[in-house]
Amino acid sequence: MKVRQSGFIAEKRPILLKLRDALCAEFSYASVLAEDTVGRYYRVSRHSVSVEEGDNARGFVVKALDDGRYAEYSFNELEEASIPGIVDAVRALLAADVRPDGLGANVYEPPAEEPTLFAGATEYEQDPASLDDGAVIDRLTALRDKGLSMDEAVLDFVAQVTWNKYTKLFLSRDKDMTQSVLYTTGAVAAAAMRDQQVKQSYLPCSGLGGMELLAKMEDNAAPCVRTALDLLHSEPMIPGEYECICDPETTGMIVHEAFGHGVEMDMFVKDRAQAPQYLDKYVASPLVTMHDGASSARQTATYFFDDEGTAAHDTVVIDKGVLKRGISDLQSALILGTDPTGNGRRESFARKAYTRMTNTWFEPGQDKLEDMIGSIKYGMYLECPSSGMEDPKNWGIQCMVNIAREIKDGKLTGRIFSPVVLTGYVPDLLKSISAMSDGTELSGTGYCGKGHKEWVKVSDGGPYIKARIRLG
Amino acid sequence: MEKIVAALNALGVEQYVITEKHTDSLEAFYVKKNLDLTRRADTTVRTVRVFRPFEKDGERMLGNSEATIRPGMSEEEIRTALAGAWYAAQFVANPWYPLPKGVQAPPKADTGGFGGKSLAENMKAVAQALFAEDTAQDVFLNSAEIFMRRTENRIVSSENADVSWEQYEVWGEYVCQCKAPQDVETYHQFCCREPSPEALRAEVRHALAMTKARAQAVTVPKTGTYALVLDREQVGTLLSYYVDRSNSGMIYQKYSSFQLGDGVQGEDIAGDRLTMGLKATEPYTDFGAPMVDRPLVENGVLKTIHGGARFGHYLGVEPTGNYRAVTVPVGDTSMDELTKEPCLHAVSFSDFQMDALSGHFGGEIRLAFLHENGTVTPVTGGSVNGSILDGQGHMTFSKERFHSRDYDGPLAVRVEGVNVAGEG
Repeated sequence: MKVRQSGFIAEKRPILLKLRDALCAEFSYASVLAEDTVGRYYRVSRHSVSVEEGDNARGFVVKALDDGRYAEYSFNELEEASIPGIVDAVRALLAADVRPDGLGANVYEPPAEEPTLFAGATEYEQDPASLDDGAVIDRLTALRDKGLSMDEAVLDFVAQVTWNKYTKLFLSRDKDMTQSVLYTTGAVAAAAMRDQQVKQSYLPCSGLGGMELLAKMEDNAAPCVRTALDLLHSEPMIPGEYECICDPETTGMIVHEAFGHGVEMDMFVKDRAQAPQYLDKYVASPLVTMHDGASSARQTATYFFDDEGTAAHDTVVIDKGVLKRGISDLQSALILGTDPTGNGRRESFARKAYTRMTNTWFEPGQDKLEDMIGSIKYGMYLECPSSGMEDPKNWGIQCMVNIAREIKDGKLTGRIFSPVVLTGYVPDLLKSISAMSDGTELSGTGYCGKGHKEWVKVSDGGPYIKARIRLG
Repeated sequence: MEKIVAALNALGVEQYVITEKHTDSLEAFYVKKNLDLTRRADTTVRTVRVFRPFEKDGERMLGNSEATIRPGMSEEEIRTALAGAWYAAQFVANPWYPLPKGVQAPPKADTGGFGGKSLAENMKAVAQALFAEDTAQDVFLNSAEIFMRRTENRIVSSENADVSWEQYEVWGEYVCQCKAPQDVETYHQFCCREPSPEALRAEVRHALAMTKARAQAVTVPKTGTYALVLDREQVGTLLSYYVDRSNSGMIYQKYSSFQLGDGVQGEDIAGDRLTMGLKATEPYTDFGAPMVDRPLVENGVLKTIHGGARFGHYLGVEPTGNYRAVTVPVGDTSMDELTKEPCLHAVSFSDFQMDALSGHFGGEIRLAFLHENGTVTPVTGGSVNGSILDGQGHMTFSKERFHSRDYDGPLAVRVEGVNVAGEG
């Protein structure tokens, strides 16, 4: 089934067309983006039940270029009578004197646009609207009860699921594009306590689609509880450099945090990334081919066009170890003289567009996981990544991982270390990759920030990889 | 607001909280020495939380859910949105608790100093202060984003609340770059609710100096156990462990064993005894009750369990509202004494984190100063992986002060015996 377009956007479309025309008559370039995002969030734990709205945004942003300068105006009230006021507000912004003495302004040419008329929607199996709130809570409650009953040491067990649906309409002089997208994310989490320390494990799942995801969550309770119980016996990490096997989620965090942020081309504009100096050079093992793009995979960051009206791409960032290109929003591409790649994304209509990742992943290799583990004399199997932070300028790595399982003589020993901090120099880590498994998995439960804000939905992943990594 | 109340009455909703927030934000984005984009966001959002009493298995319950009412919604759309929340609330089977009473009060204007001027005037003054120290060739501001925001807030509830207030806030981020002897950058944030150009200039000066130091740092610290000195926001992050662990939700759900009167630093306290206060950064709670400053910990002893209405009632403590800012009295030790060798003074991390559940704190080191053998060496790389459960009895606070929106307290803290993963 195709996702239906928002009735609100359809109703406002005639006014938005008039607004577009009024702006285009006044400024050398103008665009209008309308957004209607709705969602539902369900969560059940030992002591709490929640049914809340998911992501929620309904509003508009206009972007205008005049005398080479860009301005944007976001608002969430629109009637036909308000069009002159919106044009005035944009004109006032372009004329506003907010610069300190002595600072200049970037000057842009209008973007070249191909005439484009587009309407698209993603698909789903189970419509969220077909499931009663009570039915969802009942299924999550059953899952929670299953988790809580598995062991007396389980302090808490959480089951949660969220669906989000959005329609976006992009208008400029030459473009008229509409898309409707539905994605769903879920997770189970188990907590166990010993002394003052609470140890948690977390198993996410996500997909482009509807509440069919609920069925996929039901097998996750047992492994999640087992891991939380295992963690009660974890030891502090012994710092050092290890041969490591990363599970697909940990691979995804390395792809995203360690390398993905470094090829966001708004960072090239600011001279905040090393990547431009490495174009067409080896930055990774020849085993590594890396993609980013809203059309590169079917996951939670899949869409048809970005928030600046650029069609979704499948960008090959690294091809067999060689850095080929970055990913870009429209404004950065205008400065750099490159083509935008459909990566201009906003947290919502109320926020600025930046270059942002979408679905970011490594292609699979040809190795078998058991052979990869079997090849390690002493090392660690890393899983359950929790967070990471980019450092495009210096290509430093910070990834936090919940579990490192000891490998000795090619076998998991049962010994566990937690928590673990991965650090190092990105090219060193990527060049050390010596094996990649024969399947790729993507996970899209997380949000990605730019610095410490501007959260957008992303997915990332890859195969199991074998690499040499500093752990602390 | 009247349409919303009428729709609630028509649905038979007797308990609710309506929150209205109008935001006018002026935003400027700088790349190098050029303004790249000017933005304005003018939005109004109203949310309605409905509370639904019911019985389940003979037990009294109070469910709740929320609906967002957007500008331009018709009366029918408002009714449908509220009916959706009211329907969902019957499945939220949480044991009953009383809703806190609110107050009725005249609107409060922001008297912090930004009022009376346009957002553009305030924005320009902040930008002047931010760039005022950017005068050197070798170390400079690479880029900056400034958000100057005025909000008008109102809370109306079925429990007597009708309050409104105005608030100005400026916040932003900036990146400093130094190109030699190696090309490096550092990332910084700022936030304030009243004009403080001198404080902002001082922060930028410090940030530029630290960036220059990072350009000199080539050595990775050796793996080992260090006396670790943390400063500025990282002190607040470290101490957030005590704020999180004293939250009523954490305690009721047994993620935390803190109890009023407990010594929160363990039994063996060789270092400073901790005193912390909770600072109200909003005039009212989510229920429209006055929010006040409260003592959290005094001389290592827990004085307040804080949090919302539900878990507060379950634990039998007063609902306080939700706090994010803390005050901590300064210590007796000067920075010179605090950094006496040997120690590792970490001034910048990729992302310094505290996990209140496990007590672990850490992050990748972007810049630290290693004080040993009579020298101070800038180092970079490696990571800190510490446990506050191990270190809390050995914390020493500086007598120098640091102030930000969410932390006002000692500039630095020294924690003994922290693991650092580096070279070797």
